[in-house]
Amino acid sequence: MGPEDFLMIVMLTALTLYAILGGADFGAGIWEFTTALQSSEKERTHVYKAIGPVWEANHVWLIFVLVILMNGFPLAFAALSRALWLPLIFALCGIVFRGTGYVFRSYTLGSYRERRVWEVVFATASTATPFFLGNCAGAIASGNLIITESGNYEADHLTGWLTSLTVFSGFYSIVMCAYLSSVYLTREAFVAGDKELKKLWRQRALSTGIWMGVLSFGGLVMVWLEAPALMEGFRTHGWPLVVLSLVCGIGSLVEVWRMNTTRATFAASGAVASVIWGWGVSQYPKLIPPNITSDLAKAPDNVLWMMLGIIAIGAVFLLPALGYLFVIFKSDQIETGRDSLL
Amino acid sequence: MSGERRERLKVVSLNCHRDADGVIFDHYGHEREILSTRILVMLAQCSRFFSPNTFDLTLKFVYHISMHLQSLLAASFETAANNLLPARLQMAFTLGFHIILACFGVGLPVLLLAAEWRYLKTGDELWKLLAKRWAKAFAVLFAVGAVSGTVLSFELGLLWPEFMGRWGAVIGMPFTLEGFAFFLEAIFVGIYLYGWDRLPPKVHWLTGWPIAISGCMSAVFVVTANSWMNTPQGFRIVNGNIVDIDPIAAMLNPASGAQIVHMVVAAYLVTGFGVAAFHALQLLREINPVYNRRALTLALLLALPMAPLQSVVGDWSAKMVAKSQPIKLAAMEGHFETSTRAPLSIGGIPNEKTRTTDYAIKIPGLLSWMSYGDINAEVKGLNDFKEENLPPVAVVHVAFQIMVGIGSLMVLISAWCAINYFRKRDWPKSRFFLWMILSMGPLSVLAMEAGWVVTEVGRQPWIVQGYMRTSEAVTQSPGVWNVFYGTMLIYAVIGIAATTILWQLGKVPIESEENQQEEPYGA
Repeated sequence: MGPEDFLMIVMLTALTLYAILGGADFGAGIWEFTTALQSSEKERTHVYKAIGPVWEANHVWLIFVLVILMNGFPLAFAALSRALWLPLIFALCGIVFRGTGYVFRSYTLGSYRERRVWEVVFATASTATPFFLGNCAGAIASGNLIITESGNYEADHLTGWLTSLTVFSGFYSIVMCAYLSSVYLTREAFVAGDKELKKLWRQRALSTGIWMGVLSFGGLVMVWLEAPALMEGFRTHGWPLVVLSLVCGIGSLVEVWRMNTTRATFAASGAVASVIWGWGVSQYPKLIPPNITSDLAKAPDNVLWMMLGIIAIGAVFLLPALGYLFVIFKSDQIETGRDSLL
Repeated sequence: MSGERRERLKVVSLNCHRDADGVIFDHYGHEREILSTRILVMLAQCSRFFSPNTFDLTLKFVYHISMHLQSLLAASFETAANNLLPARLQMAFTLGFHIILACFGVGLPVLLLAAEWRYLKTGDELWKLLAKRWAKAFAVLFAVGAVSGTVLSFELGLLWPEFMGRWGAVIGMPFTLEGFAFFLEAIFVGIYLYGWDRLPPKVHWLTGWPIAISGCMSAVFVVTANSWMNTPQGFRIVNGNIVDIDPIAAMLNPASGAQIVHMVVAAYLVTGFGVAAFHALQLLREINPVYNRRALTLALLLALPMAPLQSVVGDWSAKMVAKSQPIKLAAMEGHFETSTRAPLSIGGIPNEKTRTTDYAIKIPGLLSWMSYGDINAEVKGLNDFKEENLPPVAVVHVAFQIMVGIGSLMVLISAWCAINYFRKRDWPKSRFFLWMILSMGPLSVLAMEAGWVVTEVGRQPWIVQGYMRTSEAVTQSPGVWNVFYGTMLIYAVIGIAATTILWQLGKVPIESEENQQEEPYGA
């Protein structure tokens, strides 16, 4: 294993954490989006309260993935910037409006309507962003991006990234975020000890969980039809992670059903993590199939080793800080969470 | 409406003409029986609600705008080859927007720490209130800064893929480091903003430190990357390939020291004067004098010592530019003719046709002395460099004059306050002083932006000085103009919204807030 493999592991870990933590924050907005006309003030407050202290930190995982790609695999970064020009710009719009929508909503002192406007902005952007980021992931996974070995993109910039698989993966990531968030918010409702919210979010978690399962099977069929190379990867060495994802997914449903909400959040996170790792393992060692491998795109080894050194040192600062953040704002729940089992 | 009138209206209002077959053409010569015409005619049917003239005018206006937009849209998708201008505008605009927020991200945590420290020391709730109100403003600014920074990191690839693809391995290390700094900042911002009631006061104060430190480090790393673009090193080029990359040497490039300190001090200046300006305004309007006095004092204590420091750092920076980028120095000074005992031009407008800087006050020998420490040193003029390597001289010179002018004003204010303090042990009491401070808020931002224009525009036409031209780095994707227009619109919306919300927050009477909700709404 060369340094590029370690770096890819770091990158995939960061991407997983972004999908799980950042995804759940997006999911909160997706729920707000889909229930805009029926949600009560109490439900909305519950959602906003949950993501308040953590969403900025969760968002940084995306920057983290980006800088590792930029520094460690500059060729791939440039190639993706060329090929995913349009979906990335749309995703950026979403990111801008999600962040500003949230903070403007929290701090505006204007009328109720003004706050509602920002809530709508936040909810819409929270739904659009995972869609376009999912598009990008789907476009990479499909192997349909026509990128030469020198990193040049040779298809249409406006439509080249659009295939049935990318559209599917856009919607898939929306549902994934909604599912994560419904399980997380079930847990938050248990912590708050609110009967009504517990019931509501439990129902939502169960129903979205089932949808998630259906879509995952659909996704495998889509991959089988549209991305035979990736399917081959799944068949030869990615399959244990598919199984793990299935087990975690079913596990999360069972735990939500049985009201072990903390376990359910871990199971749901595990399900999403194994989907992402399944994808990563299946297309290894390719960064952007079919042409761009990690070997081709990587920076010189001394740069990569230095990056790994920095990441190791940085982790010493980062991980305790991150742990502290979650302990302060999310941990009192573990104790109370057990108390409030039905 | 009669059919005849409708026809007439259609033709008149669209500035169209009809041929023998009754087909309508517009003055662009396009056949107008298309959807937009139909919509306009439908609109025209509503005209009975308006006076005919107003309506005709409005219709004409809307029609022209839409035609222009259509042709613009069509053109902008075709001209991927001419992406340089829109891409540069896009980068300049988004960076110019972000840099203001970034400055507050670096500076405000220091003020928060100071105010909360006074609270811990004295137990005076007014200090805590000050810290909390500043923290709310910080929360808004930080969130907008976080997303506008995200836009920039993506734009490096989206707008300049050739640059990042070729040089990413050399220039990437400071970005990786910045990733960690930003991460720590975001984590502790979450803890600090939402932890007022969850943490003991002392611990809460301590969680502000990582924000201040990592905010400063973010600036250090990002400016390191920028200074490398000015003085690239840490690699060799063999047969057109980049080899022997040494990221540490790249980060420790000649320009980094001066540029980093210059930027960080500028961030403290912008924050200090920006915050002071707000409280000076409140004092001018005689609102809560005790509270606003304290706030003004803290903000000025941050800004005022920085002003003379900045002039020293600026001198260091200029000497570095003289050594490493003589073209940029000549452009900054509007210095066309190579000369010994070169004069310093103050003010003036460089004329690139006559190759003179008109209307400037020239102080003989000063440029030579400031650049090389010797009044007889030779300073190369723009005429001695190849035409194709020259930056836009007028922009750079004028921006430099603005920056230096405002900087000098800041030094004068510092001196005034210092003298006043030694004589009377107090701030100057006059309203004129408050007006000066109020004007320094926007002026300090202007100075910082101008300084950034000097360093960025002064490096043109290079993106990596001497190695890669900006035109070689730009994306080939279509529609960059459209992205630019869209970005302007989006940033206008969030800029106005953020300003409005900050203004709302500032207007809340402090009495009402003493028993108010402890955390932001719904959180």
